[in-house]
Amino acid sequence: MSQQHVLTSIEEASKVIGKTWPLYSFVTSNPLAGYEQSSFKEAIQSAKEHLGAQIFPEASVYRQALNQGEIQREALSKLLKENGFDQAPEYYLDVMESAKSTEEVNVQHDLDRMMAKWLAAFMDEGLAEWEMPGKKEGFYQAWRKLAKYDKELGITYENVIPKNSSEALREALKDHPHDEYTNIFTYHLASMPGWTGYINYRSESNSLWQQKYPISLQDYLGVRLWIAHHWKMEIVPTKEESKVDLDSMKLQYVWLKAWEKSWQNELLNLLEKESIQENNASLDAQLVFCIDTRSELIRRHIESKGSYETFGYAGFFGIAMDYKSIEDGQIRKSCPPIVASAYQVSEVPQAKKEQSFQRFERRNKQLKFGKYFLKRMKNMLPSAFGFVEGSGFFYGLILMARTISPRYLYRIKQKYATSHETFCEPELQHIAKHKSETLDIPLIEKVAIVKSAFDLLGWSQFARLVLFVGHGSHTANNPFGSSLDCGACAASPGRHNARMLASLANEPEVRKSLQEDHDIVIPESTIFIGGEHNTTTDDIVLFDSEVPYSHREDLRKLKADLKLAQGTATQDRLQVKNNSIEKAEEKANYWGETRPEWGLAKNAGFIVGPRALTKNKNLESKCFLHSYDWKQDSTGKALEGIMQGPMVVTQWINNHYYFSTVDNSTFGGGSKITHNITGKFGVVQGNGGDLKMGLPLESIKKSDDEMYHAPLRLSVLIQAPLARIEEILSRNENLQKLLDNEWIYLMVMDPLNENEIKRYSRGLEWIQSTAQKKVGAVGAKKVKEVILEEVFA
Amino acid sequence: MKQKNSLQNSDSYRASGVIKAIPLLLWLIFSGNLVCLLYYLVVEPEWSFGNLVNINGFTLLIGSIVTFFSAVISNYAKTYLHGFKYHARFMVLCLLFTFSVISLVTFNHVVLLLLSWFLMGVMMSKLIGINTGWAEARQASKFTQRYFLTGSFFLSIGVLFLAFQSNTFLLSELISGLGELPKLTLILASLSIIVAAIVQSAIFPFHRWLLSAMTAPTPASALMHAGFVNGSGILLALFAPLLFASNTLDLLLIIGGLTAIIAQFTKLLQVNVKQKLACSTIAQMGFMIMQCGLGFFNAAVAHLILHGFYKAYLFLSSGEEIASSKPQKPLHIKIKPLQAVVVLVFGIVGAIVFAQLTGKGMAWDSGIFLTLIVAITVGQATYNIVKQKSLSTVQKIVIPPLLFMSGIGLYAFMYNGVTLLMKDLPMVAVPLPITTVQIVFGVVFLIGFFIMKLGVYQKVPWLYVKFMNLSQPYQKTVLMYKSKSL
Ligand SMILES: [Zn+2]
Repeated sequence: MSQQHVLTSIEEASKVIGKTWPLYSFVTSNPLAGYEQSSFKEAIQSAKEHLGAQIFPEASVYRQALNQGEIQREALSKLLKENGFDQAPEYYLDVMESAKSTEEVNVQHDLDRMMAKWLAAFMDEGLAEWEMPGKKEGFYQAWRKLAKYDKELGITYENVIPKNSSEALREALKDHPHDEYTNIFTYHLASMPGWTGYINYRSESNSLWQQKYPISLQDYLGVRLWIAHHWKMEIVPTKEESKVDLDSMKLQYVWLKAWEKSWQNELLNLLEKESIQENNASLDAQLVFCIDTRSELIRRHIESKGSYETFGYAGFFGIAMDYKSIEDGQIRKSCPPIVASAYQVSEVPQAKKEQSFQRFERRNKQLKFGKYFLKRMKNMLPSAFGFVEGSGFFYGLILMARTISPRYLYRIKQKYATSHETFCEPELQHIAKHKSETLDIPLIEKVAIVKSAFDLLGWSQFARLVLFVGHGSHTANNPFGSSLDCGACAASPGRHNARMLASLANEPEVRKSLQEDHDIVIPESTIFIGGEHNTTTDDIVLFDSEVPYSHREDLRKLKADLKLAQGTATQDRLQVKNNSIEKAEEKANYWGETRPEWGLAKNAGFIVGPRALTKNKNLESKCFLHSYDWKQDSTGKALEGIMQGPMVVTQWINNHYYFSTVDNSTFGGGSKITHNITGKFGVVQGNGGDLKMGLPLESIKKSDDEMYHAPLRLSVLIQAPLARIEEILSRNENLQKLLDNEWIYLMVMDPLNENEIKRYSRGLEWIQSTAQKKVGAVGAKKVKEVILEEVFA
Repeated sequence: MKQKNSLQNSDSYRASGVIKAIPLLLWLIFSGNLVCLLYYLVVEPEWSFGNLVNINGFTLLIGSIVTFFSAVISNYAKTYLHGFKYHARFMVLCLLFTFSVISLVTFNHVVLLLLSWFLMGVMMSKLIGINTGWAEARQASKFTQRYFLTGSFFLSIGVLFLAFQSNTFLLSELISGLGELPKLTLILASLSIIVAAIVQSAIFPFHRWLLSAMTAPTPASALMHAGFVNGSGILLALFAPLLFASNTLDLLLIIGGLTAIIAQFTKLLQVNVKQKLACSTIAQMGFMIMQCGLGFFNAAVAHLILHGFYKAYLFLSSGEEIASSKPQKPLHIKIKPLQAVVVLVFGIVGAIVFAQLTGKGMAWDSGIFLTLIVAITVGQATYNIVKQKSLSTVQKIVIPPLLFMSGIGLYAFMYNGVTLLMKDLPMVAVPLPITTVQIVFGVVFLIGFFIMKLGVYQKVPWLYVKFMNLSQPYQKTVLMYKSKSL
């Protein structure tokens, strides 16, 4: 048996698992990313077969959508008929409702439990003071050394266990033919998709923990299959008659499509309404937000407060950087996971502010010591007992304080939070691959970063104040806090990227070069400022400590308007008339709040085009908005960049939400109320078990029974000439595949053809939108064919 | 269809009423309790209603504490469990649980006492399995229920045996008449009661239920760790004279002390937050039982209250443990002679202050033991502070006394308050003469301290596995079932 064959089989089998991201940088990725080369339909079928997962919304969710008018009756009936379902929708709801998922005794219970126990112990990232002995030698070796003490395993001598994982696999698989390997591996990887997904994450990211304590899927399979072999268990999955009921799947799929279609119709109807065009002669300020769906709301409310122009741009602001925190010295990724970091940003004191900087560092060290001190006192004997008696009273006091006045505590926290932005400025450097490399950035690279922002966004004039506003969420007692931060910054807050871009754009040499070499003229009176949109409270903080006196008055007015916008935005979002800001602040800081904000829930669309297309229209935070002006992008390079980057990332986010919603216990995190944090990086449910890999129930549902997020695949709408898009798609096979495989929808609004909307259909075919009611007989026929073919041929 | 809908609506309307009303009610009861407590302290009234009801300082103390916890926790749960299918049921169980605890300390009749004890267990196991749609939670509920029934069974045996032997069902009469019962009766009864107590407190070897109870929603866990496990402290305080009369205190000392040490080691290797907190609770309960074994039932009650604050806080904030970190080795810094002197001096001063303020350890008796622990704690705190580089010399000298003076001061305040309120209970603060067992145990404790300090345990792999398996939850509550979609 060749080692190569084993590795290939593992690789092939690992398609079934996604990546479980650590909760401190929760990237919303597609749990079925392994199948993105296949069609959506194949992917979900495989997920159903191997993971036993739900793959479509439950019947009760469809019922709610139908009752609330989210599924248009007309569209649904039509689709049902076309696919041979002749009864009324309610009939099919009852049919779907009659199928319930069941609970079965887990045949691999002991094996799963054993693995969960050792994996949790090994992969801990510092929660336990006493770490698993021998971790440095890797998972297999560490386990092998300890296994003989584990009574449940039933081994007395270490030598009974093979010396390494490939020998263990060889022994366990000796009675099985080679072509069964992939099947066996798939089965055993899929039995704990959360933990194996985390192994996957660790080996791909090669985190510091992985470097020091290595673990691989082969180690996992080695231990697992050897134990199974030792316990004389059957390691090949028992062939159940695959009960995949194609008819019922087809029915569910038709409902999904009808829902998606209904939403697209609604969107197109909304966009067709005439916008009220405003005269932008004198702009008060321009603000650039992340494409995040939450920006749509705040942009709408800011625009209504004055002459403000807003843009949407991927929230890492085009800087492929890592950020070194001044607080803990750790370096975190701050750009999309699909982009390799080229730069590192760290904090240096502003001119004449070294003293504050030193004071901050000193205080920071003392805070760290405080934490260490508490941990020491709690862990040691006998101080643990003395400590509880001496400090119990104080705990009683904070218990009371956090119960009664979360909002007051929030205000205090905000007031005394040492915001290092007031005395620091970000510094951009290269990430050196070799020691000899210089870290300094040549001017040309800085210019390129700034230029590409203006290129992509379709910028035409500059206001006196231009704001780059990243976003971050502020929540308390929330293991999933980072899932609410900026997805484009690898689940970090985007504020540092925003500050960095502002600082680059303020550099005189950069501006000079932009003017001389690229014809981009930035008036001298224009000042760039970084900021952060707090998505939990809709507060916008500006990092304005270096803004010159001349702009003070402009800034004051802007801040006043932002405050007003916060008020109306929170009213809109929380659906309350009075004290909406207070309410939002309470949500941000109350420890008993499991739904502090909704994150990207309800996302369903991605619109690429100028703001004029969507301005003054309430998109209800359902759309990602990327600014783009086809007229300024003659080569199509900018659009290609948007489709390769942001479009792919939004698809991940959207699919993550889809799967977390349709099967929250498999692909999501389950309910927060019984979560148990493990190893500082993840959660398990209750007493333990598999690591949870996705968003919790509270992020996607209003209650146990009521839906909030509508699980719809992403509909992308681009305003650009059709020919240009066809060109881009034929150049990028992966993008075309994403469309052909139905992971997303694409609609094109062609400005060269009276803004007519065409929908993409397999193999670069285009169908005229039915919403525009211009469809000829041919078009209608084609729609029907396509659907019939797609739905389970 | 319509009818069904309106029915559901009225159901959910009623549920939301319950969800809002119960926290409010609990705050009201808490305030009422607190007012009575203050009145009691000032006026010292006699509150007996016939033979059945006996309200004294202890009743009001425990009543205030338990209503405080359940008010805070139900208030938290009001938002935390929002949208949970069994939200209203949680509130009702929380309320009933609170009533069970109050009735435990209010009624003078042994049958009512047993009933309260039984109901506490029933409510708690219902909370553990509140999500009936989750098979592992149902298993955990059943599993814990078996423990609680065992506890109730032993308690009934012990108490009813005493009642029949002394021909009275009134607790007060039963306690005052203990002197006339034969020694064997006393021993058997007290052993039964001890079993009931240590089951409730998850003391080894009955610890497994607590480690299997994480299927309860977080606020239910907070209630469990702040208001349920420490029921044993209350029980033992009520039966303190029996424990003295039967000479079983050393047994408590041994069981409690061993549990305290082992569980504290077990805590160090936990990788799940809630399991870690559970091990810590087991250790703290061990310590509380040990305090009983030293004759300081009042100290045990003070401990259970303070630990309740501490543990409720940690559970309610247990979502805060996510953090990205780097692998690192703990630093081992050698202490300099001058620093050692400071540590020693502060330790001794701490002990003296403690002894002065609480009256413990002033004479050559079992109180010495508790004072010693305070001295070491102060020493450990000082040790950590003096070797810290980021602090200035002034800070190093000022901070330790500030910390331990406020800590000891507040503790003494609590302790003396509890003692005052427990004055109606016989024999709750009787220091024992120093016995061999105590000395042996003091030594064991010191050894445990040094093993931990030096970190040698980390070099013993089999101990790791032993402790890991000792602290695993009941098997059927983990990964026992798989759901299958159709
Ligand atoms: Zn973002």
